[in-house]
Amino acid sequence: MNFIFNLTFREIRSSWRRLLFFFLCIAIGVGSVVALRSLIQNLSQAVGGDTRALMTADFEISSTNDFSPTDIQKIEEIIGKSTIIEARNEAITSAAMTRPIDDSSETLSFVELKGIEPPFPLVGKFTVSDGKAFDFKLLENNGAVVSPLLLDDLKVKVGDKIKIGDGIFEIRETFQEEPGGASGFRLGPRVFIEKKAFDSAGITNGGGRIRRRILYRTSGNPTELVKQLRENLKGSILTVQSYRETQENLGEQFTRTENYLSLTGLLILVLGGVGVWNVARVFVEQKRKSVAVLKCLGASGTRIITVYLLQILTLGFLGSLFGIFLAQCFLWFTQYRFADALPTSLSYNINFSVAWQGILLGGLISLLFSALPLLQVRNIKPRLLLHDATGEKTRRLDWTKTIFGAVSVVGLLALAAWQAGSLKVGAFFLVGLGLTSLFLYLAAFVLTKILRNFRNLGSFAVSQAINSLYRPGNQTRIILLAVGLGAFVVLAVQSLQANLVREFDFTRNQTLPSLFIVDIQKSQIDELAQILEEKTGEAAQTLPTIRARVAYVNGQPIDYQNRETRQQQGQIGREFAVTYRPNLDKNETVIDGEWWNTPSDVPQVSVEQDMALRLKVAVGDSLTFDISGRKITTQIASIRKLDLRNTRTAFVFVFAPGVLEKAPQTFAANVIKKLPEIERQRLQRNLIDKFPNIQIFDVADIVAAFQKLINNFVLAISFVGSFVILSGILILVGSIALTKSQRIYENAVLKTLGAKRLTLATILFAEYGLLGVLAGIIGASFATALSFAVSKYIFDIAWEFDLNLTLLGVLVTAVLVTIVGALASFDVLFRKPLQTLRSQ
Amino acid sequence: MIELKNVSKVVRSGAEDLTILDNVSMTIPDGEFVAITGASGSGKSTLLGLIAGLDAPSSGGIFIDGDEVTTMGEDELATLRSGKIGFVFQSFHLIPSLTAFENVLIPMEIIGMKEAKSRAGQLLVDVDLTNRGHHYPTELSGGEQQRIAIARAFANNPKILLADEPTGNLDSKNGQHIFDLMTELHRLNNVTLVLVTHDQALADKAQRQIRLKDGRVLSDERNGER
Repeated sequence: MNFIFNLTFREIRSSWRRLLFFFLCIAIGVGSVVALRSLIQNLSQAVGGDTRALMTADFEISSTNDFSPTDIQKIEEIIGKSTIIEARNEAITSAAMTRPIDDSSETLSFVELKGIEPPFPLVGKFTVSDGKAFDFKLLENNGAVVSPLLLDDLKVKVGDKIKIGDGIFEIRETFQEEPGGASGFRLGPRVFIEKKAFDSAGITNGGGRIRRRILYRTSGNPTELVKQLRENLKGSILTVQSYRETQENLGEQFTRTENYLSLTGLLILVLGGVGVWNVARVFVEQKRKSVAVLKCLGASGTRIITVYLLQILTLGFLGSLFGIFLAQCFLWFTQYRFADALPTSLSYNINFSVAWQGILLGGLISLLFSALPLLQVRNIKPRLLLHDATGEKTRRLDWTKTIFGAVSVVGLLALAAWQAGSLKVGAFFLVGLGLTSLFLYLAAFVLTKILRNFRNLGSFAVSQAINSLYRPGNQTRIILLAVGLGAFVVLAVQSLQANLVREFDFTRNQTLPSLFIVDIQKSQIDELAQILEEKTGEAAQTLPTIRARVAYVNGQPIDYQNRETRQQQGQIGREFAVTYRPNLDKNETVIDGEWWNTPSDVPQVSVEQDMALRLKVAVGDSLTFDISGRKITTQIASIRKLDLRNTRTAFVFVFAPGVLEKAPQTFAANVIKKLPEIERQRLQRNLIDKFPNIQIFDVADIVAAFQKLINNFVLAISFVGSFVILSGILILVGSIALTKSQRIYENAVLKTLGAKRLTLATILFAEYGLLGVLAGIIGASFATALSFAVSKYIFDIAWEFDLNLTLLGVLVTAVLVTIVGALASFDVLFRKPLQTLRSQ
Repeated sequence: MIELKNVSKVVRSGAEDLTILDNVSMTIPDGEFVAITGASGSGKSTLLGLIAGLDAPSSGGIFIDGDEVTTMGEDELATLRSGKIGFVFQSFHLIPSLTAFENVLIPMEIIGMKEAKSRAGQLLVDVDLTNRGHHYPTELSGGEQQRIAIARAFANNPKILLADEPTGNLDSKNGQHIFDLMTELHRLNNVTLVLVTHDQALADKAQRQIRLKDGRVLSDERNGER
């Protein structure tokens, strides 16, 4: 053992520079996995950790309608018998428009309004600006406690008054921390008012997007109670949810995100593994004589392999530790750069368990990717010390290598499955990566083959540069594969971003309205339409909307006891805005059944195709809707496809005329004309002054929010993509370092034959320039193909080829590779040839 | 004792078989100093490699102290080499990543010898390189590298020292020094010394001289018999 440890130590001492790339490959890979996993785990902790506080209760019963006396009775039947109820309150939430009462101000803002009653909150912390606990007295007599963001939006201060609906509220305080924190997507800043002020402000008049909640705090586990309530309320439109279920759902979502992100990290680590494989292979090649000497001195092949394996594992371990340090730096950078956009309670430290996982991953990747090259040690015969036997090759099948190869693949599969949290996803990842690599490699193969035909066409320098790409052990195709893969990821994301942003570009998409107005009362519609026409010069398009929920599918209530159904509650259990009209809209196509052609005794409805899939219904099935407590059973006449590209409206359910005309309804209207921002604001302000109950969506704001979301998404993926490129660059630098002696020798020979330093420098730049161009072409081609496929088949948006982006991608890749390659090899130009030739 | 019985070595060269050693037989008793000479390509180095078990013959048997080398597996051969055989090469073949001292130490560490470090120090004294122990091979001259190689070859007290053109890469002064060192260590330790050389003057100083030609033994004489 002494021999093994001593030799390992001595080998590391002398070879660490050569194995630095190995170390870095592992560090970058492990760093990516640890950073991404830690970030998402910390996010999960910060956002989903305290779902009890998020709900401000242990469980809640909620509805978009008023609770009917029957509902209350059913609730009380169960609650009355329970011994664990400690406290109860009610809350009501809605989106609303607000503006300062000062008429000289033209500001207005969308807010998330929450009406509360004491005791509030049942669970969680609520602190106002100076860190003091919230006092309910702040809300009494039309007081409001608002998010500090609102003060900026409306350009008002504490003490000023704002108008919400018909009510006027005095801003008494801003809050520092609201119960549950500010998580999730919000249309506007949060405003707290008294619950009873909701009705007096007329906000509930329109009936739209209001959610009423009864909240309970319990002394014990509420699961059984929630189950009983759900059973008793079956068939009603009420939703019962405990914080434990929310926690479970959030936890699952975070775990899924964490696993997918970890796979991205694993991709970088696997690329690092390719670097490891490359380094190990060339390392063994360079150690042939040392291995032969050791064998000659009596060391067995197994002991020598153990020495090199131990060396690799030590470097893998140290690389993993460095990777963990890099991950911590990444988290610090995230804190420095993005802390404002992230939850305040988010921790920016690496999790201990994730760090261990990183070390294990680093070790395993080192082992899996170096095992096969190291096995080559067995075939090194000591006789090469007498006659150099480099040309000797064994052709027969090497069973040990085959078995180790298979073990490595199984090991990788196990790693992928472990990181993805699913064998299926892990296998999919590995096969996907394998196929992508194969295609990239084939592309590299074809391109290098083609390039070879041009080596006699250019100048001496270009010919030599092309020849250099075929230098033995130069790893040209592997470099093209790795750098090309990095360029592919970054460019694909950039191209997708360009297409997505173009799709939702307010200025390009002529069919997208500039303003969308909802909750217009029947009595207001004519006057509002007239104002719109006056101000915009175009006839306003208005359409009736009725709020409805799906109560029964084919006569059966939706079973929310079923966990799978419950998880889709947001999509199928919500209140829908439905409409009725005789004609199909321009953006609609019937894909099954018929539009109201056949007269029917039963009310007919047309369902959007995704919702039909979600509800598992087809033409002829029945759907029962709950509209303001009244049940209307309909038959599905058709399934529709919506073209979201040309949409003004997107109704999931459209009723045949003759059914809903008498149902309580509001109207929606839109403004198509593109108006300058200042005019849009002025128009909105006029409308809100006149009709305080309506809600106006400024589509430009939504598009801006959407663009911001996409930009963040692109930034995140590009960041990961840049790590992939970095792995490719590391493989490139590693390969240059490993073939440097050959390059030095070639340069020495060329210098002896009279080549000037300038000629040699030209060869160097041309070689890496060509390599970069090839990698760029491969990356850009595959990125274009992927962006096309994802745009067309997944996002279902129009796709445009972006020549500028493609050319820029190829150029940047080429420049990057040239700079890195030239920097890593430049010293070769300054070596004296005699010394080099003597040492050969 | 080293014993070769009808040893042949044939290798494939392109489409043809090339006979490097052709039915060679010989016996070398313990403690003898034998020089093997012959022109380039006569099979000298191959013969030495076969004796050390670095390569396997195509036919015939090789025995060291009665044990048949040709039937041994890789690990048995490794044990044989670390226990009984020392090797000195023309190109020194020191491990470049280890210092001179560590190169001498390695064979002793392979067999787990106690007091390896003090013995390595003594061997450096024996080859007169005490002050060069911490240097890497690239920092040593050719003569110094070969002296380190000799110290390494003697590290495990081998019974047999096989030397393949040990002075071939050295100038005459250094060559003579190395030869004297080897013969002295051979005498002091009663080691069987098999020396492959082109240098007739060195071969003449051996107790016995075997001449090879085209893979066959041309002559096998004790010096002074001619």
